[in-house]
Amino acid sequence: MTDDDLTAVRVDQFLAHPPVKVWRALTEPELIAQWLMPGDFRLEVGHRYTMQAKAMPGTGFSGAIQAEVLAFECERMLRIGWRDADPDNPNGADWTITWTLKSEGRGTRLFLAHEGFDPDNPLQQRARTLMGGGWRSIVMHRLDEVLRDLEPR
Amino acid sequence: MPPVETSAEERVFAALASPVRREVLRLLRDAGPQSVNELASHFAMARPSFSEQLRVLREAGLVSEARAGRQRLYRLEGAALYEVQEWLNPFERFWREKLTGLRDLLDSLDGDES
Repeated sequence: MTDDDLTAVRVDQFLAHPPVKVWRALTEPELIAQWLMPGDFRLEVGHRYTMQAKAMPGTGFSGAIQAEVLAFECERMLRIGWRDADPDNPNGADWTITWTLKSEGRGTRLFLAHEGFDPDNPLQQRARTLMGGGWRSIVMHRLDEVLRDLEPR
Repeated sequence: MPPVETSAEERVFAALASPVRREVLRLLRDAGPQSVNELASHFAMARPSFSEQLRVLREAGLVSEARAGRQRLYRLEGAALYEVQEWLNPFERFWREKLTGLRDLLDSLDGDES
């Protein structure tokens, strides 16, 4: 992750399980509920369902998610739209969450792209003003490494 | 209007706004606790100016100072950085936690490796 893209969050994780098994965890509602959030998911383009996450103060995210399956390719890719379902939140989110699965050795590397952040929202504007260009790519990820090392303490 | 108190968060972000101060944090991260002399040797800056940079970092809680013999050692303080990350990108943390949960779940599902 070296881009300076303020409109997306990208994270990846190696999982010591084959794509077919990872795919199950992404698409079977009872499994999704165990690691992400409960919701009436169905693997069908256009299917809509709701989920409730924790609100994130300062980000404009109420936590109420109106989700929609936008696209999928079995065991390879799943794309879901997330909108803020709170009608009292006019600046609510309109995001796409894309999961990509790639075989890696005997396991799977799972990529997440959380896209559609508004670069003009106050959070991003503040970050930009204070940090100037290049902050995210140059410093943020270094900090991130530090933080991960520090977390067990 | 009453004067606005400088919040802890504002002090942290003001401290991080300076490339010199970010470089100090990087040096402390890469090489661990260091004396003022060691840190100062990386910068072409008069000592009083450099001390001022350290003071800003200290007051923001990003570094701490401890006496070790005749030296004063500076170390990186993780907690303030943690808040920065959470503030700057709460979603990155959200997803890392979720992905850790996913990994644990997959590890607990037995049998059906194909």
